[in-house]
Amino acid sequence: MSKPAKRDRRILWAASVPMMLLALSCVYPIYFAINNALKDRKGYILDRFGLVTDPSIENFVTAWSRARFDEYFFNSVTVTAGAVLALLLVSSLAGFALAVLRFPARKLIFGVILASLMIPVQVVLVPFYQTIVALELLNTRIGLILSYTAFFLPFSTYLMTAFYAALPRELVDAARVDGAKFLQVWWYVMLPMGKPALLTLGILNTLYCWNDVLISLLVLQDERTLMVGIAALRGEYTTNVPLLSAAIVLGAAPIVLLYVIFQRKIVAGIATGAVKG
Amino acid sequence: MASITMKDLVKAYGDTEVLHHIEGDINDGEFIVIVGPSGCGKSTLLRMVAGLETVTSGEISIGDKVVNKLEPADRDIAMVFQNYALYPHMSVRENMAYGLKIRKIAKAEIDRRVREAADILEIGQYLDRKPRQLSGGQRQRVAMGRAIVRNPQVFLFDEPLSNLDAKLRVQMRLEIRKLQQRLGVTSIYVTHDQVEAMTLGDRLMVLNGGYVEQFGTPIELYDRPATLFVAGFIGSPSMNFLPAEAKDGTLTLGNGATVSGGGHSTGAVTLGIRPEHLMHDENGPIGISVQMFEQLGANTLLHGVLEGTDTEIVASMPGHVSTGEGSVMRFSAEASVLHVFDAASGKRIEE
Repeated sequence: MSKPAKRDRRILWAASVPMMLLALSCVYPIYFAINNALKDRKGYILDRFGLVTDPSIENFVTAWSRARFDEYFFNSVTVTAGAVLALLLVSSLAGFALAVLRFPARKLIFGVILASLMIPVQVVLVPFYQTIVALELLNTRIGLILSYTAFFLPFSTYLMTAFYAALPRELVDAARVDGAKFLQVWWYVMLPMGKPALLTLGILNTLYCWNDVLISLLVLQDERTLMVGIAALRGEYTTNVPLLSAAIVLGAAPIVLLYVIFQRKIVAGIATGAVKG
Repeated sequence: MASITMKDLVKAYGDTEVLHHIEGDINDGEFIVIVGPSGCGKSTLLRMVAGLETVTSGEISIGDKVVNKLEPADRDIAMVFQNYALYPHMSVRENMAYGLKIRKIAKAEIDRRVREAADILEIGQYLDRKPRQLSGGQRQRVAMGRAIVRNPQVFLFDEPLSNLDAKLRVQMRLEIRKLQQRLGVTSIYVTHDQVEAMTLGDRLMVLNGGYVEQFGTPIELYDRPATLFVAGFIGSPSMNFLPAEAKDGTLTLGNGATVSGGGHSTGAVTLGIRPEHLMHDENGPIGISVQMFEQLGANTLLHGVLEGTDTEIVASMPGHVSTGEGSVMRFSAEASVLHVFDAASGKRIEE
């Protein structure tokens, strides 16, 4: 083997090893969760890291029925779906207005929306909680849906505005000359053309809402969402790790499924230019 | 079908006035071309007629109705855009049908009209394709189809051919003209291309810096340009401008040569002569120091300067001419084709 080839191989190894370690650090927790979810408590205490010898779905059944995860799951799905739908609807309308329509204080409003992007949730928790209480939305799913919509809307609006501003203005002009009123322009032209951006936002916002613990913990105090339920499984002195693992797998599965379903569409959405010149 | 009237039309953005007191009457069924250089306000004027830009002051009427405050949808117009502005997510059929669908016209009627327009434009076989699967020329036809199916009172064209290649542009130009004559719909067409303007328009409105320089038939504009700007803009290659002094019906050029013309005016003027009106004539008053020839096949363009000055001048000579670079060739022009403009105002001086 010649010298340069040998050096290439060394560089390859030098790059590959850290990469592999990094990949492992991502994959290992998933393996750990699935592996332990299939063990019983005794099996876990005897051998924490070893491969499961006698797999059972007992933990999933327990989590689903006895730890009320069926209720939590339903709450999470309802709230996430509601919030994501509201987010897509409002941000698409707001983006259309901010990018296309001309009205006074348009730039100021956009500036305020951008500024609200910089404020962390934690900073406004107290006034937020007081507002929820004052509106009698505490312990309601609609309250949580509205909260998620409020917190994630600035980013969604910003993205939709930027996306719509990049579309050729003539499309709106053409629709108006064709006889469309503003809402019809939005429904027939902007909404379908915004598909790639809406898909991205749908995925992102689903992730945010599904994985949220903090806001959910505040608004839904009697009932729980899935992530709050998982967090509650950790005891102060002991934790049933196999049960927790099963709950984690249950919590992650819908998101993974969603990604698998939309993966090709996401890529296709990004690849297709909205307008070819 | 309808006439269009523009009365004292002004457009301003903040304090900046971009269109100044535009006046114009467009007759029913007429094809009007608005022509001018980039930024002269021609597209803005068209968009004001369409209702896509607000009117600062003045009045636009379509038919007998003042439309200043009307939405584009309520003006009964159709528009063709430079970048076609086809809805990319709709098929050709849906693109053409959209304006009818929104007006809640019966499905059968929509189908009939789309089919009819597709036949006229020969795009019947593309009806189920998406715009991105079509070539530029085909997209342009779809954009026109979308205008035709609506059967509007007025067609508005905003530089519809400038994205096409030269050959296709000439072909589509003819088709647009034929189509307009066949349908007889009042049309306004915006372009920066003077050849397009000359060949298409019944009448041309020449716009410069937000002012109407002249509004007339192509031949009027060619034969009797009202200003230096129109004289230089209409005609290709463009008119030669020679500074001159007028006195008692005689024009004295920069090198002392004289030609008769100028009528009763006195003082500094600009003499305009089109290259095609300079006749090779051994005893002609105008001497040109020849610098180079441009062979166009049917004729030859001679580039040079007026003898003894550095005023550039172009002459168009029939056939092939290729010898004489560096020498002086003499030309004359008939008095009837000379154009004399006031040097200060740029306005035409009538005989």
